Order: sequence, then structure tokens, then C-alpha cells
Amino acid sequence: MPDKFKFAFMPSASCGGCEIAIVDIDEVILKVAELADIVYWPTALDFKDHHLEALPDGSITVGFFNGAVRNDHDVHHAKLLRQKSAFVVAFGACAQMGGIPSLGNFWTTEELAHRMYDTVPSVNNPEGTRPQLKYDAPEGELTLPRAMDRAYALDQVIDVDYYLPGCPPQVKWIVAAVEAVASGELPPKGTVIAGTKAVCDECPRERSEEKQVTEFKRIHLVENDPEKCLLEQGIMCCGPATRDGCEAACVTAGQACRGCFGPTDNVNDMGAKLASAIASITVADAQEEADRILGHLDDPAGYFYRFGLAKSMLGVQRGEFKPEAE
Amino acid sequence: MQKIEIDPISRLEGHGKIAIFLDDAGDVAEAYLQIPELRGFEQFCVGRPVEELPRITPRICGV
Repeated sequence: MPDKFKFAFMPSASCGGCEIAIVDIDEVILKVAELADIVYWPTALDFKDHHLEALPDGSITVGFFNGAVRNDHDVHHAKLLRQKSAFVVAFGACAQMGGIPSLGNFWTTEELAHRMYDTVPSVNNPEGTRPQLKYDAPEGELTLPRAMDRAYALDQVIDVDYYLPGCPPQVKWIVAAVEAVASGELPPKGTVIAGTKAVCDECPRERSEEKQVTEFKRIHLVENDPEKCLLEQGIMCCGPATRDGCEAACVTAGQACRGCFGPTDNVNDMGAKLASAIASITVADAQEEADRILGHLDDPAGYFYRFGLAKSMLGVQRGEFKPEAE
Repeated sequence: MQKIEIDPISRLEGHGKIAIFLDDAGDVAEAYLQIPELRGFEQFCVGRPVEELPRITPRICGV
């Protein structure tokens, strides 16, 4: 190991919240600075690709990658970070499992572009102008990256060593990851650096032994009892299938869990796990009754795959394309 | 024509690049700002329960 570690922070199809999470470690950043040199972090400092390209292969101790992989430029960045880093961490829900941008995987990229450039109410584009990969401006050529067919999680593009889940990742787990690097006591490859149980296990709300839901309701239609399990009040909550480690932050603030830490261990598909959890707590004697109860679950796709559609076994589900209906 | 390309624009959230073209005298002839990112919030928010949007749209920009 070198005298001082080297860290890199690579943004991709992301919102910058992960970068703010790094800053949120407050004074711990001073310890990080003692421990490591930050050799690439374009969101915070003026780094370009050539700075990363100039580093020897494998010379970065840990490359932290945030964001989904959405275009060929992101793919290039992912591969470059892999080449230059001894360890790569998928940092945040988008890198871990596609995140919010992968909700777009219900549509084709062309369908997304049609909405964005042709029909969204704030766009006036009668000539149907679209971004071009190459554009010959009078002064010279301009280029853009090519959007991929969908959003990908990082480990669908490169080999990933560790996962720091969350939207955004929580300070205590970022610190835990840095401490693991500092001490050299690294967990097994593939470890998700967070809890090992479900959010329900650290949720402070009271729940009965046997959950029984006879109706699902939207949260603004319920007098939400702050002491009681949200699911038992008929409010869709992803806690039963979601990895813990966030100290039930959303639930404690009165909002249901939406699964940003991803599934617990040994779960292949978060949506399937949630569907199973919902089925086990729904009380219905007949199919019609079950249909009625579940019919009130307005947006199962958006609840079950809020942060992880890229990693779903569903793969890509296409919406029906109806441009004339807009 | 000489081209100065700033890619990526650093120290901001979001993705952008700038191309500046200089004429023979070294003056700026034209400058282009490009946003090389597509995610699709405009589409994938459609149809979601409205009370969920305060938990989806903050991920447009999380800074």
C-alpha cells in the first residue's frame, strides 16, 4: 500500500446528491485528506478526463462512481475508472442499481427523447430539432455522447468491488468504508456496506405480530398515526424488502420507505420481494377482495422499482408509445 | 478555426461542455454550450401519484 491512498470520485448520470453526501461527512473530510489524496473529482475541482488518463493503471486506491450509466461517455468513464483503480465502489443507488434514472427503462430512449424534445409542455419545437451526435456548425464540428438504450447499473458495465447504497449514501457508511480502507480490513468483494437486515428491523414504529392490511390508501388520505407501522395503516412502505442502515430515516420523518438502500441479501428482484411481502400481509378471502385491495395500490411499478429498475429481472419493460395522445 | 473545448464543465452538478471557436485574430467567433445528458424525468414522472413527485424530482438536481 502507498504512503497515502488515492481516491477518485466519478459522476455519471446522477443528480450531484452523492457528491453532497461526501461533503456531508463534515470534519471527517479532514481525516480523509490526511489519509488520501483526491486525484479526480470534477464536481468539486477542475479535473478533466486527461488527468485521469495520465494516472498509472491501478494507481487509485478507491474509485467511487456515482450515477447510472446512461450514455457511451458514461461507459468510457466507468471503464477508465476501473482501469485506474484497485477498488471500485458503486456509490449510491444509481450506481448500485440504476436509481431514479432507471425508471426511464419503462420506455425506450426514443420515447423519452420524443417526450423531452417534442411534446413536453415547456418545449416549443415545431421543427422537431433533436440533439445530434455530430453537428457541423459553421465554425466547426460539435459532438455529443450517444444515449444508450436504457440506464444501467455500474456492475452491468464493469466489475464492481463494493456497494455504498442509498439516495444519497449515509454519512456513517461512507465513514465506515473509508475506515475499512484505512485499516486494511476490507470486507469480502461484493459487500454492500450497510446493514444486513430490513428497514423494518430498525423502524421505531410499533407493529403487531401479524400485519393485516384490508385497504391501501394514499398517504394524504390517512390520519397517519406516527407511532404505528405505516403498512398496517394501509400506506405502501418498502421497508420489509429494503436493506437497513439508514436508521429508518424516511419512516421516522413520517414518510414511507421507498427502497433506496436496495434489497436485502439474497434477493434477486426487489419488486418480486415486495410483491411477496404485500401478498403476505393482505387479508382477502376471495380474488375479488384481493383485487379491490391491491387495486388501490396506485403505482406498483413506481413503488417496487423506485430506485432499482436497472437491476430488476424484468429487464426492460416498454411503455406503449402513443405520440398522438399527447 | 481554433477550437477551445471545455469538457466537462467542472465544479458544478449537471453535465455540460462548452466549445469556443476563435477567428484568425484570436477573438471569439462563436461559443456553444452543450448539455450531453438524457435521463427522461419529463416522461417517467407521468402517471406517478402526485404525492410521490417530491421524492422523485429532487433527483433532477441533488445539490
